[in-house]
Amino acid sequence: MSRIRVLFGLAALLMAVGLWLALNAPPDALQGEYSRLINIHVPSLWLAFLAFGVTALGSMMWLIRKRPRWDRLAAASVEVGVLFTGIGLVTGMIWGHAVWGIAWDWGDPRLASTAVMFFVYLGYMALRGAIDDPVTRARRSAILGVVAFVQVPLVYFSVNLFRTLHPTQSVRPDGSTMPDEMLIAMLVNVVAFTVLYIALMAARIDVAIAEEGADSEQALAGDAVKPPKISEVEDV
Amino acid sequence: MTFWSQALEIARVDLSVERRVGETMRVVLPFAVVSLLVFPIALGLQVSVVGEIGPAVFWALGVLFGMQVALRQSAADSPERRDLQALVGVDPAARFVGRTLSGAVLTFAFLMALFIAMVVFYGPSLPPGSVPALFLSSSLFAIGLTELGTLAGEITAGIRNRTALASLIVAPLALPLVIGASQTLEALVRGESILPWVLLMIANGLALAVLGVALAKPLEEAAR
Repeated sequence: MSRIRVLFGLAALLMAVGLWLALNAPPDALQGEYSRLINIHVPSLWLAFLAFGVTALGSMMWLIRKRPRWDRLAAASVEVGVLFTGIGLVTGMIWGHAVWGIAWDWGDPRLASTAVMFFVYLGYMALRGAIDDPVTRARRSAILGVVAFVQVPLVYFSVNLFRTLHPTQSVRPDGSTMPDEMLIAMLVNVVAFTVLYIALMAARIDVAIAEEGADSEQALAGDAVKPPKISEVEDV
Repeated sequence: MTFWSQALEIARVDLSVERRVGETMRVVLPFAVVSLLVFPIALGLQVSVVGEIGPAVFWALGVLFGMQVALRQSAADSPERRDLQALVGVDPAARFVGRTLSGAVLTFAFLMALFIAMVVFYGPSLPPGSVPALFLSSSLFAIGLTELGTLAGEITAGIRNRTALASLIVAPLALPLVIGASQTLEALVRGESILPWVLLMIANGLALAVLGVALAKPLEEAAR
C-alpha cells in the first residue's frame, strides 16, 4: 500500500473518531447544536495558517537553495491552504448566521481579514498560472510567498487587536476556556485535519512531479524532423 | 555612487519621466475624480449622507487608484534598461528604494489632490486636527502602497494581464494600510488617540521595506 493511501486512511479514521466525539460532546448552553461547527471551523483555519506558514518556509528555502522540491512544497501548500480557508470562511458564516443572526458581520475584523487572506493566496495561484517558465514561476512565486505571509499574523491576532464579536482563542498557554469534552473533540479534529493536510500535500506533490515529468517528455512540433547531414546533401 | 545617491538618482529620473508623460496627474487623477462623482449619483444619496461617506470613499478610491499610480507604465523598465542598469552596477536594493521614493511622492500628491476634490464635492465635516493627521496618514499610506506596488510590479513584469494580476496581488495586501489610514480620521472623530493606527501603518511600511530590500536581488532576477 502506498504511503499516500496509508495517510488518507489514517486521516479518515481520525476524522471518524473526531466526528463521533464532536457529536457526543455536550452542546454549548448559548449556541446550542451550532457550537459543534467549531470542530470543522477551527481545524480548517488552523490548517490554513499552517499551510501558509509552510508556503512562506518553502518560498524562503527556494530563494536560498533553488531546489524544485521547495517550490513544489510551497505551491502544494497554497492550494490546500486556500481550500481550507474557504471551508473555514463558509463554516464561520453558517455559525455567524445562526448565532449572531448575520452571516457576514463587517464589525468582525477576523472575518474580513480572513477573506482578504483568501484573496491574497488566490492571487498567488493566479501568478503561478500566468507564468510558463518553471524557474521564473518558482522565483516570482517564492517572492510573493514570503511577502504574502506578512498579513497572516495580522489575521490571526485581529481578534486580540480589535474590539469584535468574534470569540478570542479558546486554548491559551494559561489553559482552556472550553469544557473538557468539547476541547478533546476539537483537538482530535485538529490532529485529524493535520493528517489530512499531510496526505493532500503528499498527493499534490506527487502530481506536480508527474506533471513536470510529462512536460519534459512532451514532444514538440518539429522534434521528429532531423536536419540533413552535410554528407547526405547532394550538390545541385 | 553610494547606495543613497543611486536611489535618489533613480527617483529623480522616474519623476522626470512622469513629469513628461503625466500619467498620474493627467490620466489617473481625472479618472479618480470622475469616480468620486459617480458614487453619490449611483447611490442616490442625500446631501448629509454624502458628507458622512466622503472620507471612506476617499480612502477606497485612494487604494484603487493609488495602485494604478504605483503600477504606472512609466515606472516599468524594459529588459534593455534593466540590463543597462545591471551593467553599470546599480544596486537592486537602491533601485527598489528609488522607485518607492518616486512612487510615494506621486501617490502622496495624487492623494492630496483627490482629498481636495472630495472636500469640494462631498463637503464632509472634518474634526479639528484632521489636516496634520491626514498628511501623516497619507504619507504612510503612500509609502506602504508604493512598496507593495513596486514589489508586485517586479513580480508581474512582462506577464500578460500584468495590471490586473498586480492589482489582485496589491489590493488585499493593502488592507492594513486602508484600516490604518481610515481609522486615523475615525479616531479623531471619536476623540481617541491616533497612535495605534499610525503604528500599524509604520509597522506595515517597515516590514515591506525590509522585505523589499532583502528580496531586491531575487526580484531583479525575477523581472528578467
